[in-house]
This record gives sequence, structure tokens and C-alpha cells, in this order.
Amino acid sequence: MNSSDMKSVVGKPLNRVDGHAKVTGAARYSAEFPVAKLVHGVTIQSTIASGKIAQIDTRAAERVPGVLLVMTHLNAPKVSGEAGGDRKLPLLQDNQVRYSGQHIGVVVADTFEHAMQAAALVNIRYDEEQPALHLKEHLDQAYVPQGKIPRDQPPDSAHGSVEQGLATAAVKVEQTYTTPIENHNPMEPHATTAVWQGDRLLLYDATQGVFGAKKKVAAVLGMPPENVRIMSYFVGGGFGCKGSTWAHVVLTAMAARQVNRPVKLVLGRMQMFGPVGFRPETMQQVSLGATREGNLTALRHAGTSITSTFDEFIEPVAKTARMIYACPHIETSHRLVRLNVGTPTYMRAPGEASGSFALESAMDELAYALKIDPIELRLRNYAEFDPDKKLPWSSKSLRECYQQGAARFGWQKRNPTPRSMRDGNTLIGWGMATATYPTNRSPASAIAQIKADGTAVVRSGSQDIGTGTYTVMTQIAADALGLPAEQIQFELGDTNLPETPVSGGSQTAASVGSAVHLAGTEARSKLLQLALMDQASPLYGATAEDVIAQNGRFLLKNKAANAETYGAILSRHGLKTIEARADAKPGEEKDKYSMHSFGAQFVEVRVNPDSGEVRVSRWVGAFGVGRLLNAKTANSQLIGGIVYGIGMALMEHTVMDPNRGRVVNADLAEYHVPVNADVPSIDVIFVDEQDPHVNPIGVKGIGEIGITGSAAAIANAVYHATGQRVRDLPLTLDKLL
Amino acid sequence: MKQVLESCLTATINGETVRIQAIAPTTTLLEYLRQSGRVGTKEGCGDGDCGACTVALMAQGADGKLHYQAVNSCLIPIGAIAGRHILTVEGIANGCLHPVQAAMVQTGGSQCGYCTPGFIMSLFAAYYDGTVNDACVEGNLCRCTGYLAIRRAASLVASSPVQDVFRDRLAQTATELGEVSYDGAQSQFYRPTQLSEVLALLQQHPNATLVAGATDLGLDFSHHRKSYPVLVSLEAVVELNFMHQTTEAVEIGAAVPLSHIEDRLRGVFPSLDEMLYWFAARQVRNRATLGGNIGTASPIGDLPPVLLALDAELKLASAVGERTLPLANFFKGYRQTDLQPGEVIVSCKIARTIAPGAVRRLSQSYKIGKRGTDDISIVAAAFCIDLDEQNQIVHARLAYGGVAATPVRAIVVEQWLLGKPWTAETIQQAKSHLKTAFTPLTDLRGSAEYRKLLIANLFEKFFVEYP
Repeated sequence: MNSSDMKSVVGKPLNRVDGHAKVTGAARYSAEFPVAKLVHGVTIQSTIASGKIAQIDTRAAERVPGVLLVMTHLNAPKVSGEAGGDRKLPLLQDNQVRYSGQHIGVVVADTFEHAMQAAALVNIRYDEEQPALHLKEHLDQAYVPQGKIPRDQPPDSAHGSVEQGLATAAVKVEQTYTTPIENHNPMEPHATTAVWQGDRLLLYDATQGVFGAKKKVAAVLGMPPENVRIMSYFVGGGFGCKGSTWAHVVLTAMAARQVNRPVKLVLGRMQMFGPVGFRPETMQQVSLGATREGNLTALRHAGTSITSTFDEFIEPVAKTARMIYACPHIETSHRLVRLNVGTPTYMRAPGEASGSFALESAMDELAYALKIDPIELRLRNYAEFDPDKKLPWSSKSLRECYQQGAARFGWQKRNPTPRSMRDGNTLIGWGMATATYPTNRSPASAIAQIKADGTAVVRSGSQDIGTGTYTVMTQIAADALGLPAEQIQFELGDTNLPETPVSGGSQTAASVGSAVHLAGTEARSKLLQLALMDQASPLYGATAEDVIAQNGRFLLKNKAANAETYGAILSRHGLKTIEARADAKPGEEKDKYSMHSFGAQFVEVRVNPDSGEVRVSRWVGAFGVGRLLNAKTANSQLIGGIVYGIGMALMEHTVMDPNRGRVVNADLAEYHVPVNADVPSIDVIFVDEQDPHVNPIGVKGIGEIGITGSAAAIANAVYHATGQRVRDLPLTLDKLL
Repeated sequence: MKQVLESCLTATINGETVRIQAIAPTTTLLEYLRQSGRVGTKEGCGDGDCGACTVALMAQGADGKLHYQAVNSCLIPIGAIAGRHILTVEGIANGCLHPVQAAMVQTGGSQCGYCTPGFIMSLFAAYYDGTVNDACVEGNLCRCTGYLAIRRAASLVASSPVQDVFRDRLAQTATELGEVSYDGAQSQFYRPTQLSEVLALLQQHPNATLVAGATDLGLDFSHHRKSYPVLVSLEAVVELNFMHQTTEAVEIGAAVPLSHIEDRLRGVFPSLDEMLYWFAARQVRNRATLGGNIGTASPIGDLPPVLLALDAELKLASAVGERTLPLANFFKGYRQTDLQPGEVIVSCKIARTIAPGAVRRLSQSYKIGKRGTDDISIVAAAFCIDLDEQNQIVHARLAYGGVAATPVRAIVVEQWLLGKPWTAETIQQAKSHLKTAFTPLTDLRGSAEYRKLLIANLFEKFFVEYP
């Protein structure tokens, strides 16, 4: 059995298997489980960014009818927010205020209304200290991070000498680019329901990683992990903010134990700006040197991003610069500045999305300085192998992406002169950028079980955050088991199922998909062995190679009449089920190959010269992402990533009050995400790509590459339209007048 | 008006009669739905910004017939649904998936699924109106799909909807909203049908708060969780729900929803049509009223600049009688108006005649925001210029929102323009006056400098479009 056998269901544009549940309102999200005796929790948040709680008066709150608990640092049980790795959590263990919006209390009451009313009556006096809130004011305190950037890489890298490369360059671009704080804003707010059953804890949690949540909660509460169960059947989007376990999850469990009742706590939209992570503000210096012919002689990408005063998160902005272009002298670095903000976190293509804005803008500036077409410049510096790891690519179709994308877009008709293309009074601009995202994979397990009725159940912890896990795993399982997709029930979202990684880093298809594939294949193989060794079977005596599996039947390749159903084999052996478990993990491929998806983004913008309004009017993205599991979900994932990039480029910006660090646009009216009217026609091209090396199913991951390069492509198009280079996101109207 | 308060409201949800009691009338419909186990309707923001909570309200349209109206359930006080029929995502699959549900499955319009019920209900409402298009989902945010799969779903159901039980229901005669007097959890909710009753209630309860569509006040229920001891709904008041059109003028009742104005006045005032397009989203326009948009006196309200430019006149009523007032004299300061205690806005009258001596009128409005739709303005502007046979300006109105503490006219520039020719040269001079006409603020929507530029540039844009 190998992946070439997977040809019937995988790749088809199957409708989502959970579509019916979602369009009828039947899908249950984490805040929606009917639990007996449920009571309601709300958190109290700090209104200053730095200082101490001098006094907290809860008496009036406690007198509100129905109030069961007002938990503050004065009466919270002792736990360790730093235990268990992942994020360090302020959990009411001291009177320290570290950022505005920090949870400093939890109120539990019989109704949500009573809890809200009581929370408003808690009287707090602070000893306020001067907070550090601005990256630019604290650059002198930038430091080398203790941690690593993803894939266990050091924060700095150097090949050759950039100074030397710049010294020999005929043309140089040295610029600073900035990106603001952005918030994920999945449509579903974070929600946790905690139910204690003796010393066992059951949590319904809106999370991208049930196993991560289990480990963190158990470690913080000092419990054996086996006593914690996390369930998350449907998650209303995550984009990274639900990838970590944040304070409110643990606080809900603590409160539930205190009141001895199940507690539900749902964050309001406003509460999602701070305590559940964000994409940190960055300042990035890019230095490029090139020969007159456009060959890069030097590439330096130095990024500084913000983190909290109590924890470290590095936005790995310069990671892409290590591998994207061939250049003899490449240096990258990452620095951090501590501010009185919540801890930042992964947000859709962390590092690649923000870093590609700087690097791909700089490449466009270099193309103009050299008077070379931006695609041509990139082709002249095409990396035939990974210049950092000095490894061959497992596969790379970037050249084809440039070619096919440019052809579809009509790039050859572009007049490169800024302000040269108009439609009446409206300025037209065309821009492009390179997209890339690494192919990640983590250990994952799955169990496949074939039942006597001819159906199968496949189980794997995992999560479906909207990406289509239920659907593509059903497809993989269908092919591995030789069953139609309708006969497969795929279960996920529960730590009682086999362990899987977080749904992040575009790794679910590769990780969980490999496990499902192997488990399915193994279960089918075990079943076949029963038949091959059974004299009563029409397949008796044949070898596995002689047999094909189809629609729940085994049949001989050369004599299709010799066939029997899975159900018949199981029944004859008196078995109700046969099952197999697979524990899949990455092998040596990562030591032999550098593994990435690549793509090219092409965009047209229309700029109103009177008002500076920018509208994206056309988009072509071409991507080499390995094998497609489902053409329909894949297409939509790429489009969704691109639209996330439109938001990043043109509108997304979390604004803090300059004195107290409160987010002043903590709602969806003022924190703008793209609306339907902001989205043009988007043409996604999948460049045919087969990668035999990455993983058993040949997929590269598609959740994040769509946003990479997007902001730069728009900024480059705006430059082309207006002649104005904006190096500071978001690219709002006032920056163009 | 019944003086005995009832302790129970009845409404219909998905065809089932529900009795609502011991619940504060300011409890939102969304809270009621979710707390009563109808969790298919989602809460994404509670502010009317995302549309995840969209449900369909059966209500009389501008044509007097019943329609399904997409509304944000997070902004509707439960008192307002008394006697009405609500449909949610759980109530439209009639044996098999509704065509809009099937289309969303077919195109992959649902990813994480959390915004899906809201999109479905917006599409559902538009489906029976024959208006399934991009605009019908402008008030729904999706963070996963990038909208294209949802647009494909819309295009699948855009043509000729079928005759079904939901359409049959619309064939019933629309009945007028009945009066309501409800007391729940120490809060009173009145929905009188006569203006005299409103005025009496205001005398009786000086602390009463008026509410119509609740698209602004609803934030206080949903987000700020303020309690209101007495709410008086204007939704059913006959004298506030009318539109009169003559060749001379149009008069619009204060409680008329904006979507009715959109439908009935299309083509009458180009600047009003334009601004209504940009005004929030369908769900909000189905509930928001003209009186509400004027009465809240927001400096960034969308309609006041348009109405100021058209010299609108308000009719106000109180127990002591009626009075009329030019809209320009209504706004007194930041969210301050000339409305007296016990007084209500009855209607707004807009003349259709142009100035004496004029032969043509140029009129348009502009709203500048960051997003394509569904945004708060950085600056809104409305212009009205009457020209005589010599192309001389005989009447000028330049009104703005977002540039001062109230919606405001550039009166000095208006006067300067009188007698000048409508030429590029005049515009250039007017622009230099406009740049110093106001001292706008810098806020997160835009800088003072950018606003000043827009104040001038938008007038030039108007000239370019209407030379």
C-alpha cells in the first residue's frame, strides 16, 4: 500500500462532511453544551497597564443576588501559571498588574446578568506605575531573545558578511518597515465550560489544541494529565489565538472547583484584545545590495518585535530571508522589546506574513532602483537549494508559480512607471510578491476501526477550526480503507482520542493525515490477512498484491468475481470490528530536504486620488503546495489567507491609548476586518506539484501561505499606482495624501 | 393604552408560540434565544457589527406587504418582538435543507461555521425578496472563506425562488403592530400606537427612554448592560410611520425604517440614495429609523449631512403642542439637541423645489471610510448647489459629518459661493476657504490633516462629477 493507491476520494471537491450541521445550527461550539447546574463566570480586567492592586473591595459584588464567588488574588487558590510550558499565565497569584486588560478577578453567579452586574460593582484602587507602551520609545532596551524561533532555530543567522556584500553592491536598498499590533478576531469568541467530576476535570474549550490545553491545565493545577479531558468538536476559527491555553481557561476551572458547580465563561469581543494574544508590532530593517544585473550581493533582515514584561514571544519576521533568495551574504536577527502588553502569539503565518511585507517591499524597491521587472529580479536570485540549511528542496515550483500567475494576470501588459496606468481619474497599480511557508509536521496518532456493517470509524484527537479537518480526514480514511466517504465516521476534538498536535503551522493535513492514512491502511491490511488465510474466503491463498479494495469489498485484480465484503469477513470470524492504530511521526526527510510551499501573488489596486481610498480590484495567486486533498476546501483556504492579507495591508490595526494602554478600537466596528465589498475576484492557481519526500501523503499545508506576500503585493501595487512607497502598515487613506 | 402592565409577552419563533416572562424587556433577542437553548444563532460581537446573530423578522415592508427582514438579534430588545414572528437558522430546514442552506454546503460557504447562521438568514431574507446579491450580506463578517464561496452560494439561489411554506406565509395580510405594556424584572416596556399615548407616557414617566429600531440604544443593552426602568417604543405609533410625497416636498415619519426610505424614495434625492447605500448594513437599515439617526445627534451620523444640505425641517411634538424647526438649528453640541423634555421628533420634511431663479440643482453625498461598506465615516459630506441660466450659483449648501462636534454646514463658504460661476476656478478658491472652515479632531479613524484635505477635496470631487 502506498500513497499512489489513494486516488478515488482524495483530491475530489467533496462537500464538507460537517456542512449540514453548520448550516442548520446543529453544530455545537464550546459555549453551547447543556450542562446541568451550570453557572456563569465573567472576568474583571485591569484598567491600568502597570502597577499594583492596592485595594480590591468585593463586598458590594458579593451582595448581588445569585453571586457565588468573587475570586481575586486575595482568595484564589495557589497555582503555578508558569508550569507546563507554553504561555506564562497571570492567574490571580499576586497583586501585580502587567498590562491593561489583564484578568484580575472572576465573578461567578447563577446568571450571566448577575455576574456582569457584580463584576461592575468590584471597587479597585491601584498604585499606578508608568507603563512602557511604545516600541519606538524603548528600542534602546531591545534584547536578544532567550528562546528560539520556530523549528528550533537560533534568533540570529549569518552566512558570509553583509557589510562586505553591501560594499561591493552597485545598488542598495536600506529601509525600515513597520507593522502594527493585529488581533485575530475569529468569529467565535473564546469560551470555556469547566465541569469537575470528583478530582477529574472536563473542559469544553474553544481551542486549536486539545492536547496542549490538557497538558497546560494539568500542569498549572498540579493534576495528573489523565485526570483532565478537553473536548472541542467545533471551533469557530482560531488563526493562532486559540493555539495557546490562556488565563481564562484555567481561571474557569479554578472557579468551578471553588463553587463546586460547572462554570461557563465566554470572553466578550472586547476581551479578546489583549489577554488572548495578538500579532506583535514589529520594526524591520532590510538591507539589500545587488549588482547592476540584479544579482543580490547582500541581504540583511533585522527584526524587532514587542513582547510582554513577563513572557517571551518572538515574531520570526526574518525567517523567510534565510531561505528565499540565493545570495552569498545573508544575515538575519530577531530582537525583542518588553512592553506592558499581554503576551503576543502566533497569528496566521507568524513571521512570514509580517516579514514578507518588509522583504518583498524591499525587493520591489530594488527592482525599481535597478529598472528590472520585479519577477525578473526574483528569477535572477532564484534559490535552487536552501541557502541556509544547504539542503535541496523536497520540491519547489516557484518558477512555475511566477510564470503561470503572471500569464493569468496579464503582467506583460504592465507599464512599470508609477502613475502611468489610469482608468479615468482613478489610478491603477499592479504589484506582485513571493509567497512561502514551511511544510511542518509533528507526531500524530489515529485509530481506524472497520465494523461488521461495512462502515468505519476513524478517531484522532485533533481539531477542526474551519479548515476542513473532518472532511479531508474522511477522504484520506476512505481511500486508505477502500470505503466510500459516506461510510466513514471521523471523530476528533477530544483528548480521549489518539494524540495529535495543535492545529497550527499548516501541519494538520501532513501530521494527522499521515496517521489516518497509516491507521486506515493497517486496519484494511489486517482485515485482508484474515481473508487471505481463511479457506472459506474466495480470496484464500492470494497475496495482498493480488487484491484491490473497493467500496468495502476485496476483490482479486485478475478475477473480480473472487470478492467478498468487509462485513462478510468480519462476520465469518465472529468479529464485530477490526481496528488498527498508527503512531505517525516525521522521519529523516527533514534532515535531507528543505521543505516549503511557494507561491506568487499578483494584485491590482485602484486608488482614488482625491481621497486616497485604495480598493483591491483583482488578484491572481499561484501556489505550489504539493498534493491537494480537496480542491474545494483548498481553494477557499488560499482565498481566505489572501483576504486576511488584504485586511493586514489596508485596515487591521489595534490602537492603544498612549497613556494607559487600553485598546481603543476593541470591537468589530473600529477594528476593521475585510467585508465582502473589500474582496475582489480572486483567482487561485494550483501549480501541479508532486512531492514524494515531505510525508506519506505528499501534502504541504495550505492554511498560511495565502497571507504571505499579500501585504507586500498590495503595497507594491499602491506604489505603482501612486508613486508613494508606504513602509508602515496598515496602508490607510491618509498615508497617501 | 392599557395601564395594567402585563407580566408576559408572546411571540412566535420558528412557528412556535413562546411566552416570555420575568425577563427584563432590554434583554436582547439574541440572549433570549441562546439562553432558551436555541444556540444555532451565534454571538460574535454583541454590537451589531458582525451579523453572526442575524435572524429573520417578519415585518411589513415599504410596500405594505409582509417580508422577511434580516435583523441583528443582538440589538433587539425582547419587548420589541411582542406579537411578531422570528425565524432562526434552526427553523428554515423544512424536512430537507432550505435552498440557501444547501447552496452554502455545496459551495463551501461555511468553513468554521460560526458566521454561517447569520449569512444563511441574510440570504434567506433576500431570497424571498428576490434581492440575493452581494449587498444582502454586507452586514455579515466572515474571517475564514474570504467571502467568495459565500458569493457563489448566493449566485446559486439568486434566480427564481420556489413557492414554499415560507413564501406562503408572506401571503398573509400584514397586521399593524399591536400595543404592548409589559413589566419584566422591574423594567417597563410600552409600545403605544398613538402619538398622544407617547406624550402621555412621557409626562407620566419623565425618566422614560424612547426607542425605535434600537440599533444605537441596543448597544447599551447588549454591550454596556445599562438598565432602563421605562422604555417607550415608537415602532407602532401611526403618526410616526408615514411618508408623504408631493411635487413640492417629501415628509418622512420619524419611526420609518431606513430600508423603507430606500425603497420608496429611490431616485428622488440622489444624495439620500447614495448615503443610504453606505449607511451601515442591511440588518441595521431594516431597523434604524430616520428619527433615531437625527435624535442621537452623533457628529458622524450618516444622514444629517444629507438632510442639512437639503434644508430639511423637523416637526416636533410635546404635550403642549407641535413646532417646526430647521434641522440646522436642531444640533446644539456634542450629542446635544434642541429636543425638550417630553418632546419627540414626529417627522422630517425635505423640499423638492429648487431656489427661485435657479434652473438646475446639483446634489450628491460622499462617505469616506476604510472599508468598502459597513464602516463609520472618517468624513461624510453632502452638497447641494442651485445654478441659474448663466451657471451662477444662487443657492449653496455644503454639509459635513465627522469634522466638528455636530453635523455642520460650512456657512461662510456657502455665502461666499453665492453669485460665483460654477467653474474650476471658483472651486479652487472655495477649497482654500474650506481648508480653514473647520478644526477637526485626530482620532483613530483619521488625522485632522487628512480630514481637512477631505473637506476640500470632496467638494472638488463633486464638481468633477457634476461640472
